[in-house]
Amino acid sequence: MREVQKKAEEDQPITNITASAMLAAELTLIASVLVAVIMVRLIHPVLMIIMIAAVLIIAVMARPIMPRLRKEQNDDLNNMMFYIVVALGIVVALFYWGNLNV
Amino acid sequence: MDLNALIAVMIILPIASALFLNLLHKKDRTIKIIAIITAVVLPIIPLLTPYGSHFFGGYLPLAQNSTLAQGLPAIITGTQLSQFHLGIMYVFSSAQQLMIFILGIITFFAIFTFINETKKPSGVYAFLLFMGTASLSAILLSDDIFNLFVFFEIAALAQVGIVVASGIKDNYETALKYILIGNIAGPLLLLGIVMLLGVTGNVNVTDMIFSIKNGFVDPQSPVLLMALSLITFGWLYASGLPPFHTIKSEVYSKALPHGAALIQAFSVFTLVAIGIIIIRLFSYNPFTHIAIIGISVIAMILGITMALMQTDYKRILGYLAVGELGYIGIGLGLGTALGITAGLFQAINESVITSFLFIGFGTVLYKTRTSDTKKLGGMMYVNPKVALLVLLAGLAMAGVPPLNAFQSKLMLIQASIQSGLPEIGIIMILLSIVTFMTFMKAFYTVYMRPKPKELEVLDNKIPKSTIISLVAFLIICITLGLFPQIATSSLQTLAAGLV
Repeated sequence: MREVQKKAEEDQPITNITASAMLAAELTLIASVLVAVIMVRLIHPVLMIIMIAAVLIIAVMARPIMPRLRKEQNDDLNNMMFYIVVALGIVVALFYWGNLNV
Repeated sequence: MDLNALIAVMIILPIASALFLNLLHKKDRTIKIIAIITAVVLPIIPLLTPYGSHFFGGYLPLAQNSTLAQGLPAIITGTQLSQFHLGIMYVFSSAQQLMIFILGIITFFAIFTFINETKKPSGVYAFLLFMGTASLSAILLSDDIFNLFVFFEIAALAQVGIVVASGIKDNYETALKYILIGNIAGPLLLLGIVMLLGVTGNVNVTDMIFSIKNGFVDPQSPVLLMALSLITFGWLYASGLPPFHTIKSEVYSKALPHGAALIQAFSVFTLVAIGIIIIRLFSYNPFTHIAIIGISVIAMILGITMALMQTDYKRILGYLAVGELGYIGIGLGLGTALGITAGLFQAINESVITSFLFIGFGTVLYKTRTSDTKKLGGMMYVNPKVALLVLLAGLAMAGVPPLNAFQSKLMLIQASIQSGLPEIGIIMILLSIVTFMTFMKAFYTVYMRPKPKELEVLDNKIPKSTIISLVAFLIICITLGLFPQIATSSLQTLAAGLV
């Protein structure tokens, strides 16, 4: 039932507001990530240039990103659990392994 | 009278009141009177309490407690052991005073609105609101990390209860999901605390710091690093930072407006309390600051972009609240006195502004029984005064002068530039603009566009208490915006101590 309900919501007509919101979110995401990547200069300027180029290529290749992100960031418990476990792995790896081995 | 005993009263009073209210059924008048009296007293107690410490059971460290130290062997009294804290200790300084005062104010207006918007106020619901406030006061005061965990769990249960009591569609499912997720994150936080106890032999944060700084514990001990990672993970859950932003925003949207106002204040102050403990314990590790900044930037970007995509105004506010948490985290992560002061100031401001917005937009729910922006419109004609107040709240959140968040966001940008990270300042400015845009999108769809024909507006008049609450929040926003030193002077001492 839920899936049918969600599908029905997805099929609703796109309004000007939703389209402009989606576009604004997409631009905000790309701009913010690009500016954040500039901080890699503190590690090495060349690495920063490579990462900016990589982000730009990914942004162009993967766009539109926001509809996919929205689909992933939903209220489904399975999805939430998946990202929680991934985040736990990243946090532990960075703090524990990263501090001991880097 | 020992006025420092009032430190404990800040927790005991709301718990006692909550337990008593829980026993009252169908005694509406009594519930109203007791709830209002407690809510009025809550913000007053921190103002009357002198700064200092409270030792539960009177267990001062042996070095300060000659009676207890008498007859003990020199291996205890003559060594560092005599300096360690024997029991639970609460510390009350100007920063705690301000935060507990603001928490008390938000609780007061949440209770005030709840009692006047509800025909038959439930004692159980008031119990949940007060238990949450008591827990948060304890979390802010406690220097004992295990005691903090116990109150953190009580606060989590109170939040679940507030969602269950809301009666909003799918609220049970959200509450169950929050509990299930809490069953992963809570025990991991506890495991981190247990590891800290295992390494340092202590649960008192001050004593643990002493042990780490004085070489009793190897700072690069793998167990200590694992404890840091697990406590950080628990911190993400407690405050609703990614990957917990989805469930946290859902929790906000499934609570009644006064409940949501209080729950977001719980998130903000838990973020601050546990964040400060992480910085106090692990600031020797430079990666701690990098991680906090990284998580906060992700929270800002994800929270605000996801808010743009929502069509339910409560969900929009929920995601915006998560995004604003990122600003607080940035301040803490920068690790400078200015940055931490700005982060704490932003926490105060955000808790007030988001409560302002939840209660303000809550009037729409009160009049229409819906929060779906696709079904809403024309609410400006229904109540222009509330519309103006909500607009001002949105301007405050976006950081428009002369309102309070302008000052804290400006301080955060200055702090990031001073720390050699102007990029963070640029991201904060960019996301503030998008926050404003997101808010205006919600405001336009709810208030400004023509009212849809099928939208039914109920005749029930918005209670004056709600308007009073909104005006009071606006006054706080303007006051802190024009005179930020009222807050920053209280927060600077704590910030300087963390550097």
